[in-house]
Parts: sequence; structure tokens; C-alpha cells
Amino acid sequence: MSNLLKGNFTTKKEVKKPEENTEKDSTQQAFKKAALNSIGGSMVYVERTDLTWDGEE
Amino acid sequence: MAKILFINPVVREEDVPRHIPYGIALLAAIAMKKGHLVQVYDANAHRLPLETIVEVCQADDWDAVCIGGLTTTYNYIKKACKLIKQAAPKAQLIAGGGFLTSMPTEIFKWLPEIDVGCIGESFETFPAVLEKIDNKDFDYSTVLGVIHRDLTGKSFLTPVRPNIHDLDTLPWPAWELFPLDIYFANSANLFSEESFTSKRRMDINGSFGCGLTCKYCWHLGTTGDMLIEENEEGENDVVFTYGRNIRYHSPDYIVSMVKHLYDTYDIDFAAFIDENLMTMDVASKGTWLKELCAKWIEAGLQPTCRQKGIPHDENCKGVHWNGTSHAGLHRPDTLKLMYEAGCTHLVYGLESFDPYILRNLGKGSNARKNKQSIATCLASGIKPIPNIIIGFPEETFESVRNTINALIELGITAKPHFATAYPGSEWYYAYKDSILAQYNGDLEAYIMDLGDASKITATISQKFSPVQLLGLQQIVYLKELRLLDLSEQHWAPVQQHLSPVVEPKTSFNLRPVKEAGPLAIKVG
Repeated sequence: MSNLLKGNFTTKKEVKKPEENTEKDSTQQAFKKAALNSIGGSMVYVERTDLTWDGEE
Repeated sequence: MAKILFINPVVREEDVPRHIPYGIALLAAIAMKKGHLVQVYDANAHRLPLETIVEVCQADDWDAVCIGGLTTTYNYIKKACKLIKQAAPKAQLIAGGGFLTSMPTEIFKWLPEIDVGCIGESFETFPAVLEKIDNKDFDYSTVLGVIHRDLTGKSFLTPVRPNIHDLDTLPWPAWELFPLDIYFANSANLFSEESFTSKRRMDINGSFGCGLTCKYCWHLGTTGDMLIEENEEGENDVVFTYGRNIRYHSPDYIVSMVKHLYDTYDIDFAAFIDENLMTMDVASKGTWLKELCAKWIEAGLQPTCRQKGIPHDENCKGVHWNGTSHAGLHRPDTLKLMYEAGCTHLVYGLESFDPYILRNLGKGSNARKNKQSIATCLASGIKPIPNIIIGFPEETFESVRNTINALIELGITAKPHFATAYPGSEWYYAYKDSILAQYNGDLEAYIMDLGDASKITATISQKFSPVQLLGLQQIVYLKELRLLDLSEQHWAPVQQHLSPVVEPKTSFNLRPVKEAGPLAIKVG
């Protein structure tokens, strides 16, 4: 994991880049970005949110 | 010396990070040269959750946290400022850049967390603010070129700081403080075959400002285009003018910087982010670019494909480059030299091919020059990248037809930008009342909505509403004159009976005269 901060001295605390989560997120995000960039005609995009009706109005 | 944290805000979230922030990198270099302790958190490069700022702010006991950017970074900056002040309450929060300079009083009202802001050029203002912080003296009223607060939170602008005289006194930007691997991964772009294959592109800047007075543009208060004067309420406010202090780096400065980037980072592409290379060349009486090209070649930066006259491929060595040009100011002999030195493409803000629109735009070009520029540029070997806009205040069916006809004639496919009144521009002040009306009086909502002009925010077209402009954008993209004719037949008779959608007004903040702000006296 690399340090998020870059500078000319050493900070009291290091701030690590959370690599694993970022990678997991980035596939979904990258897909969404690519899909949204090609919207048109039969190319549509649906948000990955749960739309199942749970009985509440 | 002060412990400083720079935060580079997220911009153009819909795209990957492509540009190391030149201004922040320069200010970081200046601060380090003065002996300060500097760290950079490049939020735009890392694209992590916003809350990461808290962790970053708690990594040390910062004396100052600095944030800034163009108006399009406002969304991020607004959220970031709240977190910064919570996580590092003892640090002075310093802001700067175009988002602040264009409307300092409004920004200070909207973002009460900011302690002090640098207005316009900050090369000397920023270190002066840091010196104050070093001395634990938080009375900024004696520092030129800032906006600051009193104990009640009320903001005050101090008088304008003169632009520095000699740009070559600036250090090179502190590129080493940024995650270059992320930027290098996004080096390629679709402007030319050479830039498409670039693997290690970096931005460089050769000049500040532009001599032209395009109504959609402004110059960040960095080029003699800004004064500070008392407004109707007797309070200091920014006034933008047609005044210009034209300044450019020497070719030696630029070439030695690129040589350093080539030797240190193995770059294959240098992208000039200058507003307009050609206006600078004109200011130098046509010597600047010629000298730059000669020195580029002399320094061994000329790409091998240009040296040998062979097609570009992955084995090419050297540094290709691109920049911005102007249809009325480029010269074939200069373009030829630029091509030989490795220039791949030039962005031309042609905007429209309608004579009436171009006459009113302050661009110094016309339809004939716009058309000719494409052929002239192509003949040199350099690829022209024309920018097109629709939705001008004066836009009509006829003006759109003129643009489509030219696009057909020249073989250009473009999905035009929408005319957008960015804060600081002449359009913004002329149409501010109309913009407010379109956002129910909420100016901040408009600022938060602004992007790269590829979507409609507030329209400034006097004849067309958003629904028509969206249709016209598609018609221009398809170059469909039949659809344009049909739309005109349907709508033009109605248009005659409607009052203009928007109306221009005069404003204290815009003075269309060639009155330049101060320039520092040459030293030595």
C-alpha cells in the first residue's frame, strides 16, 4: 500500500491508500463509466441498486 | 517554517485524471524553496471517498491546509472545506485559483470555513500569507491580493498585487509530489495519432494570459485583466477588464524544463496548457515559437519520426507536443517549424462560422479565416482540433446553418459545446440576472452545476430555449441541414412573436476597456 501523501518531510502518521477496496470499486465504476459513455439506441444502463418492493409504501 | 498540506480537488469526475495541477505544483515548489514543509494529497488522482480528507488532515499538525482550482472544482471544494475545518481546526484554511478569484465575496459567504484566499496571481501572495502564518499573525489586511475576514466573519479584499515581471524567476513545478503513475496511465488521448500512443505525457506552461477578449473567456486575474476597486456599497470588489500584461517564459526556460522531464521521467509527450501560443508569438513579433522550435531540436527533443521523415510508431524517441492556436494569427512558416520540432496537434477555438457571431465575439477572427485555418494547419502536417460552440446570444437558424455548411465543407465532425457563462467572463456579468432567473435566484446552485460546457446549465441564447439547443446540438453533430430546415419552418414564425429568452446587462465587475492591472517593475 502506498502513502497517499507526498512531500518533503515525513508526516507523524502515514496515510495508506486502501488498494483492495479501490480495485473492487473501480471495476464497477469503470463499467458504469464506460456504459454511460455509450448510451444510445439499445445501449442503456440500470443502476445497481435493489429495487425489490419490500411491502412498504 | 510552516507545515503545509495541499489538497488537489476532484475535477471532471466523469473522466479519468489527466492533468497534474500546474498551479498547485508551482506553489508547492515555491513554498519548498522558501523552506516550508510541504505535503500534497492529490484527491483528483486517487479518486477515493471524500472522507479520506479527514485522515489526511489528521496525519500531522498542519499550520495551513491549501485548496484551490477552477470553478468546476467548486462542488468538491465546498464539501472538502467542511471536513478540513473539522479535522484540522487549528490550521489556517487557504484557498486560491479561479473558483475564488472570479467571485471572492460570494465564495467567502458560501464557504465560511476559509480563513484567507489568494486572489489572482499567487506566486508572491501565497508566500506572503505563509510568512504571516509562520509569525502566528493572522491579520492579513496588510497582504496585497487577498480576501480575508474580521472576527465577525465579514470579508475584505485588499488591493491588487502586481503581476511578477519575469516568469523565468519561477521554479519548475514540484511534479515529484504527485502520483505520476496515475497520470501516466492516462497519457493517451484522441487528438492525434501521436498523442493516442503516448505513454508518458506531462503538461507544461509557457505563458500566462492571452491578448484576445473572447466574451466567454477570462484569465484568472493572472494577466493584468483584474483590478480591485470600491463597488457601489463602498467595498472592494474585483473588476475584470480588457487590460493585459502579456508574459511568456523564455524558450530556454521551456526547453530546459522539457529536457529535465525527458531525462527524469522519460516523457514522450509535452502538452502546452497555455491559453493561446499564437497570441504570445504575435507579442514577440513572431520570434518566440521559432526560437522555441530551434532550441527544442537543438536539445535533442525532436521526435525521431520527424527527424527522419518517417511515420510515427512505438519505436519513436523524443518528445511530441501540442498547444493552442488561432485562425487569424498562425503563420504557415511557423507551423512548418512547429511540425518539424514535433508538434502533433493544435487546438483552434473556431467556435462558429457565422460572420455576425464572430464579429461580436472579440476573437479577432472571421468565417473566411476560420475556414482557411484548417487547410493551413493540415498543410503543415499538424492536426487541427477545432472547438465549436452553439447557443451564442446571437445564435439563429441561419448562424447554425453557416456552421454546418462549413463543417461539411471542411470534413469536421463535432458535437458542439453549449455557450456557457463561466464566472469571470464577460458573458457571466452580462447575463448574470438571466442566470439567476434560471436557477430561482440561487447563484451557488448554478456554480455547482457548471461542468465542461458539454451540457446545458443556464442558456444565454436570446432566441433558443434549452430544448431547442439540445436539438440543434444533435443536428450540428449529424450535419443534417434537412432537419435544420424543418425546424426553422416550424419554429421561426413563432420566434418573431417572442421576447428574447435572456437579456444582457452592464455590471460593475466588467469594464470593457484596455486598462491593465499593475505589473511589477523589472528588477536588475
